[in-house]
Amino acid sequence: MSCERCKEKMVDALAGGEGAVHGELAAHLRACAGCKKVYEAQVHLFGAIDSGVRAMVNETAPASLLPRVRARMEETRAPRLVWRSAWSVVAIAAMILVISLGFVRRSRPLRDAGLTKAPTGVAIRTETVPFAATPREAASTAANPRRRPGNKMETRINRPSGVPEVTVLAEEHQAFVRFVARIPADPQKAVALTRPAPPQQDLPVEIALLQIEKLKVKLLEPTTEE
Amino acid sequence: MRELVLTQPGRVLVGPSEREDESSRAHREFEERLVECGPLAFRVAYGVLRHAADAEDAAQEALLKAYRNFGRLREPARFRGWLVRIAFRLALDRWRSAKRREKRETQWTGPEQSAAGPTTEELAVSSEFQARLDRAMEELPEKFRLVLLLAAIQGYTLEEVSGMLGIPMGTVKSRLFFARKELAEKLR
Repeated sequence: MSCERCKEKMVDALAGGEGAVHGELAAHLRACAGCKKVYEAQVHLFGAIDSGVRAMVNETAPASLLPRVRARMEETRAPRLVWRSAWSVVAIAAMILVISLGFVRRSRPLRDAGLTKAPTGVAIRTETVPFAATPREAASTAANPRRRPGNKMETRINRPSGVPEVTVLAEEHQAFVRFVARIPADPQKAVALTRPAPPQQDLPVEIALLQIEKLKVKLLEPTTEE
Repeated sequence: MRELVLTQPGRVLVGPSEREDESSRAHREFEERLVECGPLAFRVAYGVLRHAADAEDAAQEALLKAYRNFGRLREPARFRGWLVRIAFRLALDRWRSAKRREKRETQWTGPEQSAAGPTTEELAVSSEFQARLDRAMEELPEKFRLVLLLAAIQGYTLEEVSGMLGIPMGTVKSRLFFARKELAEKLR
């Protein structure tokens, strides 16, 4: 075995963690003083590496480590529970919304037939009647029901006498009717019926002329400070 | 009246209170493992960072990460290996960012001095040798480095390292061999 080959083999043996060399390598080391010296140096080097690496990883863990981790664990745990309850609230709200949407869908055929049954026991019948845009038109419409000003139509709900009437925007009318129909707990609150508000129109704005009875013109007088 | 209950294999229906119990049970289980594995996480982090306070921070971070994801761990027997990997990875990230910061702050790099004079015993205890060993370790591939650190931890055999990392025993031995050989070449 050459000295070069011997050095390679001794390094491999030491890197592999072999405590002692055997066979051909051992025989060469016994015979070659130079290789023996190199081998001893290598043994020391590997020993130093091992002890150095052991020193790196066998440091005692500080006593504060576990208490700190436990404290952080508690901090982590509390918000998780809060989030969980928040999510359950969201889930319940979503469920209520789905149920109410389903209810609205089921009640729609009734309304399409022209009859809406409110939980108050008041039947709300909807019909299309000519729409009066202004009080004057309303008066003339009342006098002549066949007269239709333009093509504007509205949905009017017959209401019992003495029941308050709520005027809502035309696009919000259906939503408001549904809202009223879905008040199950307090029937008194559901008594109000709806009437769509007139749609926005470009009506001329009447501004009364300013009438001045007396006009007195005075000249500005300089003050003492000026 | 008969009740028919259909259950999916491997899954159980749990109510809120049961879920709460499950959470408490997981918390308790983790607590038990914390005592056993907390120091291990610290040692692995210290092996990379070589600074006690930094290693403590990294170990704490690793343990918290493990705690948050404890429910996702399918095989509890793999906990130690899982934690070791987390701690190692976090410590490496921390070490790299510290190196970058250091490089930014000081553009100076110390000249490497040859260790010709002193004997290996003296070298082993000298801080100079330790510094060179640190540098050589940093240059090792991560997989070699992790095996070398774990094998050096007191009380861990190669079989345990193999089980911890989920790799065959032969792989552990070969990684250890190449790691030590590379270190020796760098330190010669």
